[in-house]
Amino acid sequence: MSDDLESWFKSQVLVHEAVLMRFLARAWPHRDDLTELRQEAYTRICEAAQHTRPNNAKAFLYAIARHIMSDRRRRERIVSIQAAGDTDLSNDLIEERTPERVVGGHQELARLAQAFDRLPARCREVIWMRRALELPYKEIAVRLKIGEKAVEKQIARGNRLLAVHLAEPVVGRGEPTPRHTEDVIEDGIGEEPR
Amino acid sequence: MSTESHQAIEEAASDWLARRSSGSWSSEDQRAFDAWFNQSMRHRVSYWRLESAWESTQRLKALGAGIQSDRPPPPGQWNLSPFFTQCADEEEQAAPHSSASANRMVRAFAASLVLAAAVGMAAWFLWPDPNRYETLIGATASLPMADGSKITLNTASEIKVAMSGQERRIELEQGEAFFEVAKDPSRPFVVVAGDKRVIAVGTKFSVRRDLGSADGIEVVVTEGIVRVEPVNGKGIHKLAAQPLTAGTIARANRGGVMIQKKDISEAEEQLAWRSGVLIFRDSTLADAAAEFNRYNPRKMVIEDELTAGLRIMGSFRATNVDAFVRLLQQGYPVETSIDEKRIVIRAR
Repeated sequence: MSDDLESWFKSQVLVHEAVLMRFLARAWPHRDDLTELRQEAYTRICEAAQHTRPNNAKAFLYAIARHIMSDRRRRERIVSIQAAGDTDLSNDLIEERTPERVVGGHQELARLAQAFDRLPARCREVIWMRRALELPYKEIAVRLKIGEKAVEKQIARGNRLLAVHLAEPVVGRGEPTPRHTEDVIEDGIGEEPR
Repeated sequence: MSTESHQAIEEAASDWLARRSSGSWSSEDQRAFDAWFNQSMRHRVSYWRLESAWESTQRLKALGAGIQSDRPPPPGQWNLSPFFTQCADEEEQAAPHSSASANRMVRAFAASLVLAAAVGMAAWFLWPDPNRYETLIGATASLPMADGSKITLNTASEIKVAMSGQERRIELEQGEAFFEVAKDPSRPFVVVAGDKRVIAVGTKFSVRRDLGSADGIEVVVTEGIVRVEPVNGKGIHKLAAQPLTAGTIARANRGGVMIQKKDISEAEEQLAWRSGVLIFRDSTLADAAAEFNRYNPRKMVIEDELTAGLRIMGSFRATNVDAFVRLLQQGYPVETSIDEKRIVIRAR
């Protein structure tokens, strides 16, 4: 089942990372917590999916993210009321990577080029040599006059950054999602998805 | 919740991936990796996520086709189909543009400042002096100007406008206003607030005065660059030396200057009043109440320290203080007594 879970997670859950991060950023006041919340959401969705695969991974992911946040609010005793625009996700305007789109050629290549271009120069060179030229670490170390350990470090760092960049929406598409346009909802605490 | 920090897990996951693709991977490595991987779901999801990103870099090979050097081309210079140049163009437009509604106003207005229909959210007054504008408590107003600029007045605010061939000059007598300045390098746009002035050419920023002291001002810049300097050339030299860029929130008074650099989107939040909304991210109740009190004639008063220090987050209609107080009672051990003039809040 574990292999199966892996491909389900990669194809049905990870593709929504951009939307998830936007949602978390709008609903949670501390930017520093966002990656932790993301990890928590992924962990919980996979734990749940071990037993039963949800039909709609995206909706389930939102529900989980919302629960995590309300748990924390309760724990940290923050009064929270979200504007309606923040909890209604059905009409999200964000450019998404739907599963169909992942296989779509050019768009993905463009996304990769953009994500890759945002890496720091050294990371970029190292990853380029490894992935485009398929050079071994040893050879990369020689060409760049750095140690092999340093190559490994750059790969690890570049990988972490790329994962973030790749999840960010393709630029220049539509306007940002309108925020806070609706009236205040009476009580957003622990609310279930509609 | 796990005691292992999420960063530590992510770093471990990326280290494993980097080791795995090094080409030297022993069965011992594999065993160690399996132990780590099987230890928790948290480890697995972090690994899968990074692996997925790593797998997509496979296609860098396709991007590298035909490139002679062993280094990648400079960012944005992918020598490929027209598709990619289009992409690069899009990137340049990526800087957040705020309200699209700030489009140039028709220039056919004769007077220096014309009272076109306000945005509909507010009533405002025109004083006998045709260049003086004022809003009541709880109201905001949008004022298009003949030069194409637009001014949005916040609650209980007052400005005086003086346009000349050399200068576009606005005096902020009280309150707060947001300025969307049409570009005109020959005529700087100057906002005078007490003993300081804020100077711009084409940009978007707000200036606020009602901070509790006579000489305090707050400037929020959401686009372009502005400069703040003393009107009479004395004091706050530090501010004058440092142009304020987009995303900056600066507060200045006699005592000194505090400059905070934020994301533009965070700076914009500070200006949510333009659509009648207040946004708090982890404010104290005391600060939130002070914000609400700007917009409402009936003032919130907090009686004890404990209650004043409660933390608030969320978005609220600035004029719907009743809803805010109701929610406060539901979420916290507080009680309120309300009369015509005040809403008193104390610990229950």
